Amino acid sequence: MDYKTEVVIIGGGATGAGIARDLALRGIPSILVERGDFTSGASGRNQGLLHSGARYAVYDPEAARECVAENRILRHIAPHCIEPTGGLFVSLPEDGFEFRGEFIRACENAGIETVSLSPREALALEPGINPLLIGAVQVPDGAIDPFTLVVENIRDAESRGAVVFTHTEATGFLRDGDGVAGVVVRDLLEKKEFTISASWVINAAGAWANRILALAGLSIPMSLSKGSMLITNTRLSQRVLNRCRPPASGDIIVPNSTVSILGTTSLRVDAVESFEVLPEEAAFLVYELSLLVPEIKSERFIRAYAGVRPLIRSGETDDDRSLSRGFSLIDHQKENGISGLVTIAGGKLITCRLMAEKTVDFLCEKMGLRAPCTTAEQRLPGAGIGRSLQDRLLHMRREIPAARQEILCDCELVPRDEVEAVLKEGKVRELRDILHRTRIAKGTCQGGFCVYRLLGMLNELRRERNRGDSNEILMDFLEERWRGIRPILWGTALKEEELIESIYKGLFNLSGELSGGQEAGERGRR
Amino acid sequence: MKRYDLIVIGAGLAGLMAARTAVEMGARVLIAGGGMGALTLFGNTIDVLGRIPPGEDIAEGMSGFIDSFPEHPYARTGWEGVEKALDAFQELFPPPYHFSGVTRGNCLLPTGAGTMRPTFLIPATMASGVGMMPASTLVVGFRGFKDFQAETVSLHLRCRGAVIPFPRYRMGGMTAPAIARLMEDHSFVERLGEEIYQRMEGERFIGLPAFFGLREPVAAMKTLEAATGARVFEISILPPSIPGMRIYNRFHERLLQRGTAFLMGTPVSEAIVKDGRCRGIIVKNAPLGAGYQADRFILATGRFLGGGLWAGIERIVEPLFHVPVAQPSRRGEWFKGRFFDPEAHPVSQAGVETAADLRPLNEKGGIFLENLWAAGSILAHHQSIEEKSREGIDIATGYMAARQALAS
Repeated sequence: MDYKTEVVIIGGGATGAGIARDLALRGIPSILVERGDFTSGASGRNQGLLHSGARYAVYDPEAARECVAENRILRHIAPHCIEPTGGLFVSLPEDGFEFRGEFIRACENAGIETVSLSPREALALEPGINPLLIGAVQVPDGAIDPFTLVVENIRDAESRGAVVFTHTEATGFLRDGDGVAGVVVRDLLEKKEFTISASWVINAAGAWANRILALAGLSIPMSLSKGSMLITNTRLSQRVLNRCRPPASGDIIVPNSTVSILGTTSLRVDAVESFEVLPEEAAFLVYELSLLVPEIKSERFIRAYAGVRPLIRSGETDDDRSLSRGFSLIDHQKENGISGLVTIAGGKLITCRLMAEKTVDFLCEKMGLRAPCTTAEQRLPGAGIGRSLQDRLLHMRREIPAARQEILCDCELVPRDEVEAVLKEGKVRELRDILHRTRIAKGTCQGGFCVYRLLGMLNELRRERNRGDSNEILMDFLEERWRGIRPILWGTALKEEELIESIYKGLFNLSGELSGGQEAGERGRR
Repeated sequence: MKRYDLIVIGAGLAGLMAARTAVEMGARVLIAGGGMGALTLFGNTIDVLGRIPPGEDIAEGMSGFIDSFPEHPYARTGWEGVEKALDAFQELFPPPYHFSGVTRGNCLLPTGAGTMRPTFLIPATMASGVGMMPASTLVVGFRGFKDFQAETVSLHLRCRGAVIPFPRYRMGGMTAPAIARLMEDHSFVERLGEEIYQRMEGERFIGLPAFFGLREPVAAMKTLEAATGARVFEISILPPSIPGMRIYNRFHERLLQRGTAFLMGTPVSEAIVKDGRCRGIIVKNAPLGAGYQADRFILATGRFLGGGLWAGIERIVEPLFHVPVAQPSRRGEWFKGRFFDPEAHPVSQAGVETAADLRPLNEKGGIFLENLWAAGSILAHHQSIEEKSREGIDIATGYMAARQALAS
């Protein structure tokens, strides 16, 4: 079946989802296509830092000011996606105070509130910090849950008429003379192609922006920078911790619910899908950040991951950290003479709403529509609903009868009921979609136990039977899991790995050589 | 301070087998274990060398294997050593709960993933799984018990599956040890048999999760067979393992009868070494520490999971004696790029290298300590997970280490 709409959005990251919601709120019909599931790119592969702007204050004051404004708006419209932890910029003896003075002044200029702390005051707030620190500056940093933020934007857009296709890739443009008149897309799971005609196509594909533009023979100057991160098994600090020095690799720890995320590295890459974390990157992050929090040396890690930042090149610089984290809105009619096509690229998670606003403002102007943006005032549908561990436990105790409290995931306490609710919503197309929408496989064992259980439950509900062999899905999952844990396998994590290997390769013999059905079937016939 | 002929460090299958062997030889033995080892996690059947295809003679297969892998622990024991040790193991398990092989080779048993898995010796409660015919088999799982997914098993075995509620107990969080205790209750097992019988469509085999109780699993099986009229068998599940606990319990019971001292729950904190010999061990259980002396010591502390090996960020060490550990040169080489690479991850070959008599070697290739032997999975140059050789290595080297130690 082919579709017709006003605007097609390519990309289900924070920017695309923000645009879908903004368009819907202004009454403009749209269809969003996403190649994987929501946040499969940089939106889901970052540190989950709710910037106060402090990190950019010295070198990118414009980006810092954007952060200040958007931070305030997000706290209003999406409080349930945010943990207002506060943050510290810590000066170690080797950092000195030189940068600190400049930093405090730059924060003041950008409108970021700072409080200077003595080493004693800082240690009273965060006892895990290296006791040799010489001072700290408190700023209003926080943590943000990007997946919930994006899904809530989508949910709100859909409730107002937007249409969304996940696992659907844009494979070409519909042309109309010199212009673009829609897209050709392919449903990657059903393996079916269809078209969506539209007056406007918005390329919000993030790091994949040039891959989309190549379909029209275009490109924009963009650098790809890989950032690797490590997740700890426990939460190391209550606040975001930064080194108070010029931004560099391995200088920030962001707490997130029950864990902390160590970041980041910055490596120029050529391929968009550069998601491998090297063992030496993991060792580097552990070493650098153990200077800030010494306990890190003996901490257990549960996963490593990497994201690829799309950075728009404008000036003459080779240092990716000094490239602007600002964004660009490119009208390809003006740039290349191709009408109906707009690219929105660069930017940061925290400015996704602003990027959407600017994009839709531009479209409205072109369409001659006078519809003001309301995304800064209208709260997301889930605002006010608690999602903390405490909230979930209370919900479980009050709402689910004892006989049905079958906990599929022991690490993150995900009851079978929750999965059934996700399945009922009907948006789930493959295993990963379920993992995305619940806490399954996000805890200490990283799905080592619960995915077997989940697949068994799906087999029971006959959901996976026509989607392929559940043991193959399990093995694919274990391969993907492996990419995340291989870089951090030492200490306790390696112990757990021996357990998981013993289960799947040993006890369950999932080496792929002896297929049970075949062997047993053959014997049965004899 | 009490003095022993032998102190076995590690209470997994290798350590238990070493202690049992020494006790049979009349030695006074202390066994010290931090936990119960991989045995109670994965122990179900006795693997010896699953990579030998079913139908082939395992003795012949083993000799070819030893030729190809001259550093493998089996090259130390030889097939004769394995066979003698397995006999000694089997002696511990008289009927009804006995272990037997089907032929001189491996046989295939269904698993909790619905795959077939090669193994050598099978406990009585799993024996019917070998002859199971998918077309006339029903695999039963239970609502509220998540560590066995009957529909996954039946889908892959191409047989029928059913998920039913437990009789009497309607709870969401049932674990295998809790159910194993219920299975000791005859009337519960009878009710269970009736519930299963009502779901049958003329099947002749019933596969159930391996939780038939710790004390009299064969009696529970017979009760279920009487109620259903079918052959009933246990299928391995996610850890912990009830059949593994049965093995542990049997050793524990027999060793206690023979006067072996058990020191369980706290890992050995320190070994006292002087003049090339180990003099004793210290177990610190704050606020107290206690020392134990012996003439001989066996190190059977397992791999990473058991605490026998510890991986720092860059190097793998043996934390108690600091025995040198053979290992890849750097962490980047510990693992293959793929989890299911056909070859084992190089780190699984890491471990303690020994002389022909199982005494660990020092850096120069000499004997590390005069009176220290090593047994079980801590030994280098095996791939027990891929080879399916975990229990065979434990039993054979535990047996051999004890005999070597007491012969000295």
